[in-house]
Amino acid sequence: MAKITRRTALAAFGSAITTPMLRLPAFAQFGPIRIGYAGALTGPAAFTGVDIRRGGELAIADINSRGGIKGRMLELVARDDEHNPVRTVAQYRELVEREGVVAMLGATNSASMLAVAPIVNDTLKVPVIMPATDATAITENEAAKAGRDNFLFRVGMYGTGQGNFMVDTAVKKLGFTKIGLLNWTGGWGVTGRGELNRRLRELGLTPVADETFDSSDTDMTPQLIKLKNAGAQCILNYALVRENTFVVQTKQKLGDTTPYISGWGIAGPAFWVAAGKAAEGVLTSSTITIDGPQSPERLALLQKYQTTFKAPMEAPYSVFGAYDAIFLFAEVMSRDGIDPAAIRKGLENVPTFKGLVKQYDRPVFTKDRHNALTEDDMIMCRWTEGKLLEITYDAGKPTVATDVRTRRTLDPTDLHLL
Amino acid sequence: MQFFLQVALSGIATGAIYGLIAVGYSLTFMTTKVLNFALGMWVMIGGMLTYSLIARMGLSPILALPVVMVSLFVLGVVAERVSVYPFLRAGSDVWVMSTLAVGLLFIDFAELIWGRSPTPVPSYVGSEPLRIGPIVMLPQQILILGTAILLFLLLEYFYRRTLLGKAFRAVAHSAETASLMGINSRLIQLTSYAVAASLAGLAGFMVVPLTLAEPQLGTVLGLKAFAIAIIAGLGAPGGILLSGLAYGALEGLISGYLNTGLRDILGFSLMILVLFIRPEGLFSKVQAERA
Repeated sequence: MAKITRRTALAAFGSAITTPMLRLPAFAQFGPIRIGYAGALTGPAAFTGVDIRRGGELAIADINSRGGIKGRMLELVARDDEHNPVRTVAQYRELVEREGVVAMLGATNSASMLAVAPIVNDTLKVPVIMPATDATAITENEAAKAGRDNFLFRVGMYGTGQGNFMVDTAVKKLGFTKIGLLNWTGGWGVTGRGELNRRLRELGLTPVADETFDSSDTDMTPQLIKLKNAGAQCILNYALVRENTFVVQTKQKLGDTTPYISGWGIAGPAFWVAAGKAAEGVLTSSTITIDGPQSPERLALLQKYQTTFKAPMEAPYSVFGAYDAIFLFAEVMSRDGIDPAAIRKGLENVPTFKGLVKQYDRPVFTKDRHNALTEDDMIMCRWTEGKLLEITYDAGKPTVATDVRTRRTLDPTDLHLL
Repeated sequence: MQFFLQVALSGIATGAIYGLIAVGYSLTFMTTKVLNFALGMWVMIGGMLTYSLIARMGLSPILALPVVMVSLFVLGVVAERVSVYPFLRAGSDVWVMSTLAVGLLFIDFAELIWGRSPTPVPSYVGSEPLRIGPIVMLPQQILILGTAILLFLLLEYFYRRTLLGKAFRAVAHSAETASLMGINSRLIQLTSYAVAASLAGLAGFMVVPLTLAEPQLGTVLGLKAFAIAIIAGLGAPGGILLSGLAYGALEGLISGYLNTGLRDILGFSLMILVLFIRPEGLFSKVQAERA
């Protein structure tokens, strides 16, 4: 064991007092530009939280390999908020005040973002771009309503839009009039149920049945029989992978082929892994699918994800959303500098943007619209033989491309492949 | 009528799961008045282990079951020694917290080992739904129902007819007196905890094809099973099975005829009502055992 001399003791003392100083914002200008992220890296929501971090890291690696922002490298500082809003709030403060981050990637929990939104807007004043949280009120917050600077931006799904999109697809595109609802009683299911009911009302419709289930339900027999007896032609749902697996398993058991349309909670490979063939034919709204034909840019990122993390991608919308968010930050920072207020203002002034979720030929955000994606950008997908295939309409008829050459039409009554 | 039968039977199938788990609470309570509050998490460990053995290592279910049960028995011995006995010996009630802490540790370990995504385990008896007239059941549901009934018959036999079973009951009645009669009370306490853990393993093995393998699979199930053990009475294993099945049927009927949102409200209100009217539970005899 090395003897402790006066010199080593002095050196240790010196580094002990200077190291924390390097982390102070005043010293940050010499180091890399820091972007923060607080989200679920453990627990049931980690599949999407880890993918946000990974998407961010891949984008930062790409930007740094091209020389960073005017020669300065980017760095992601990530924290695990365990999907817990209390932790998110504390970590946002810590990341901004101690780590000196100039921008943030949004969390995994809508409740977390609702909790930090007023703090971000009133005190912390750093821009946040959210890939995953969809509660409408996060972007349409108090500051936005009062005409003050709104620091919250979104490149993922947003709640009101998704509710409209799901109902409109069922009613206007697929022609169903007797709509049944079957929603989870967990947080996301409750807001979703509200959105679906609101949109149906706006279209002058009432659901023929409005059923719910909770996390302890593994057998949905009573709910599904009630929906069938009520004459539902189509069932709309908000729930996550686990609960939806039980729904489709019970549907399979009962031989129930009623079309089933779910929110983007099952728009990732995890659903097929859990539910298997029982998921065949289920529709889900999404902002992106990585199955079917893809652009070279997307294929390159999929490849990079594979080689870097050697794991299957569980939440494509998180990876690609975070990737786009970092590139948006980078584009604005190269143009307007790295002052958080300037980045915020700059985000409202990006005229076009070649994103991987979407290529924008219009401003990504405006002063009044902090949701990059609108209802028109959402896609309806169908789980088909393990792939999530985008539905397109051929002379009004819904079709999916099962391979490069074949397009198959969906049966108008039960949406099976014709 | 068809609707009634279908929702009631689906409910009973779920109730069998509750009953299977709930019996574990009674096993330890009867001998030491200790409850393993984290029993749901033990069920989860059983389920996850089953997943590893069957879905990942390709073992046949017949071989996987003993491995799971023995592993959880051993784990039960260790956990009792570390998290229950020290407090019991000191006359403290801290085991309430420490059994829960073990359960939370299990969840964290399970996340580290198996990840967080729900993964399927194939049914042991095929997935083709069985049609009994107009009623549809999954073969796995019937297997669980059968297992629960068989287990309760075995337990009944064990308690009434075997020497060890009688020793269990003697310790339950009075550990001190039992000791004076030459029964190793300490060994019985340890064994009852480990057997309860092992049965949680059995429950996990049985339910995982229906619930998906994931670290949260046992949390809510354990809670409901606890309510059922309380309703039936912790000292009445046979009553626990009946209550489990009845509770499941009731849940199914409430969901079917009223509303799913009301289900847990009515279920847990029932538990409080039973506690109010018959604190010892519906099936427990009030110290009626012959001395």
